[in-house]
Amino acid sequence: MGFGRYVTARVLWAGVVSLVITTITFLLLSAAPNPDVQQAATQAALQGGNPAEATERVRELRGLDQPLYVRYFDFIRGVYTLDWGWSESRSQPVLEAVGSALYYTAQYSIPWTILTIILGPLVGVYSAANMYSWKDHAATGFAFFGYAIPNFFFGIILLLVFGVWLQFIPVTYNTDVAVFSVENAVQLTIPVFVLVTGSIGAVMRVSRNESAEFQNADFMKTAKAKGVSPLRAYAYHVMRPTLVPLSTTLVGQLLALFLGSSLLVEVVFAIPGLGRLTYKALIAQDTNLVLGTTLFFTFVAVVGNLLEDIVFTVLDPRISYDDR
Amino acid sequence: MTSDDQPLLEVEDLTTTFSTDDGTLTAVDGIDFDVETGETVCIVGESGSGKTVATESITKIIKTPPGHIEGTVRYKGRDLLSLPESELRQIRGNEIAHIFQNPQEAMNHCYTVGWQITEALQIHRDVSDEEARAKAVDLMDRVGIANASSRFDDYPHEFSGGQKQRVMIAMALVGDPDLLIADEPTTALDVTVQAQILRLLDDLQDEFDMGVLFVTHDLGVVAEIADRIVVMYAGKVMERGDVLDIFDRPAHPYTQQLLECLPEFGGTGGGIPGTLPDPHDPPDGCRFAPRCEYAEEACRTGEQPEEVEVAPDQQVSCVHYGPGGNPSIVRSEGHGPGDGATGGDSEVGPADD
Ligand code: SF4
Repeated sequence: MGFGRYVTARVLWAGVVSLVITTITFLLLSAAPNPDVQQAATQAALQGGNPAEATERVRELRGLDQPLYVRYFDFIRGVYTLDWGWSESRSQPVLEAVGSALYYTAQYSIPWTILTIILGPLVGVYSAANMYSWKDHAATGFAFFGYAIPNFFFGIILLLVFGVWLQFIPVTYNTDVAVFSVENAVQLTIPVFVLVTGSIGAVMRVSRNESAEFQNADFMKTAKAKGVSPLRAYAYHVMRPTLVPLSTTLVGQLLALFLGSSLLVEVVFAIPGLGRLTYKALIAQDTNLVLGTTLFFTFVAVVGNLLEDIVFTVLDPRISYDDR
Repeated sequence: MTSDDQPLLEVEDLTTTFSTDDGTLTAVDGIDFDVETGETVCIVGESGSGKTVATESITKIIKTPPGHIEGTVRYKGRDLLSLPESELRQIRGNEIAHIFQNPQEAMNHCYTVGWQITEALQIHRDVSDEEARAKAVDLMDRVGIANASSRFDDYPHEFSGGQKQRVMIAMALVGDPDLLIADEPTTALDVTVQAQILRLLDDLQDEFDMGVLFVTHDLGVVAEIADRIVVMYAGKVMERGDVLDIFDRPAHPYTQQLLECLPEFGGTGGGIPGTLPDPHDPPDGCRFAPRCEYAEEACRTGEQPEEVEVAPDQQVSCVHYGPGGNPSIVRSEGHGPGDGATGGDSEVGPADD
């Protein structure tokens, strides 16, 4: 069957894409002046030594005297064998720093993703079923609100109201509570809510518009003529075809928000996740760590796009694998 | 078979209106007809005459609102229009099944044909997946789909237009319906396939002992399959009765004109000059008056003329047959070929859309 081959081809392609991105990263890095080398030169000059000699020594130490292709293969091997170097600012291996940050990022990203995937299509289809009624207008209004308001700004407002004034949630994220505890759920409510309002708008809009088309399709009349109840007709005959175009929007929205807004939200709520890690690494000019988080986000994006492609193909039976 | 000579389906004074932005649109305006078990009744008329709406009003599959249905539809003596929706659902796809014009659109492209055929069965009966599958494969085989058991898991796009309509027929028959409503089931298909599908429906009707209500604008098709016909124009019934009688001696000017368009009767296969009246604002009197060559003053006032029985089982709605009318005005010119030309192997419709 063509499906296995299709998936294999897609995975290989994703590998190529990630390699291209890693290569570009390497080229940018090698073109930029290395801060360590500069520092060594400055240090040597200040202490009356020979800057050129010091530079040479550091370059040797860092392997920078090797030809470009050797360094390139070393770098690529490092990336793919998960040897991502040492983070100066955190005094731990980069991979470890990324791993522990991911632990916190996952705690709000997983509920947020699940809520978006479940609520977005449901509300969208409900909206379409009640098109132009007040329910539809309310849902659409909410969608536009979430879509339009910047997430970090909305986060700050909610933090001000619920954290500072009402004191329902701690102003600063508390890492001491257990993952599966009421305290943790409470302190994650607002960040999750902010992100859901951000991601759900587009998902709702696409599901509403696509399902509006399907709910008036001829096959809905066939379903009714077969004795299918309205609920079943929506669940099977409208929802299912809507998922095809929706899968693209869904993955796209989640990725965009994950790579963009969630970082800001982490900074606002002081969640020690990947966003804050990146932010701090930038401030501290910790090159290895910046590189590590960048690579991580790159891989998430590549894998996300891969999933989107595969899901789309699985969902639409009309797509022939041979054509793609 | 129904008991006590009760028709399988009795439609009385069926009226279907739609509320639109431009006011109320009357698509079907007080029509009557019957369908007996084992017979095929054709509703004939130009597109826009209300024939589709009439058939979709029977089990209320049109959307209400904006649609609004009144009158009586008795199926085996039960008034369908007064049944609650949940009971109607039990009848739809189970006792009364539908086939639609465009099989391409009438199927959901996301599900296999097998899933779609068995859906009605799974809803209405307590059957296992295996039983449902066996029944569907059997039906697919019966409607002429080769390798039915392997094609059960194929998607609609993997079938040709004619095969899709065969699948739709299998889908309709899965609940062993007593009444099959077929709305222009061959219009979207090419000519050779049309003939095959008509033959198939004819065979299946005998096999399943169903009443068939068949909607078409194509009198060639009517000649092939109908036992009785109902000629509709602008939401009203113009004439109804036995197909042989009507093809032999069409009484209504509209029926006469429809038949005259047929190539067998010397027509060009074109349509009748003029257009249907605006359904928002139908003319007074006879709906056909603006296009009728025999229209008189009496035709343009009051209501559509009362139906008059001009022969056993042949009703006509035209003033010339009514009290004080003179049928010879309409009939004198020797309309209708009178040679029983019901062989009708034409595929050309008189009023194509
Ligand atoms: S009632 Fe008058 S207008 Fe209508 S069909 Fe008869 S003659 Fe023509």
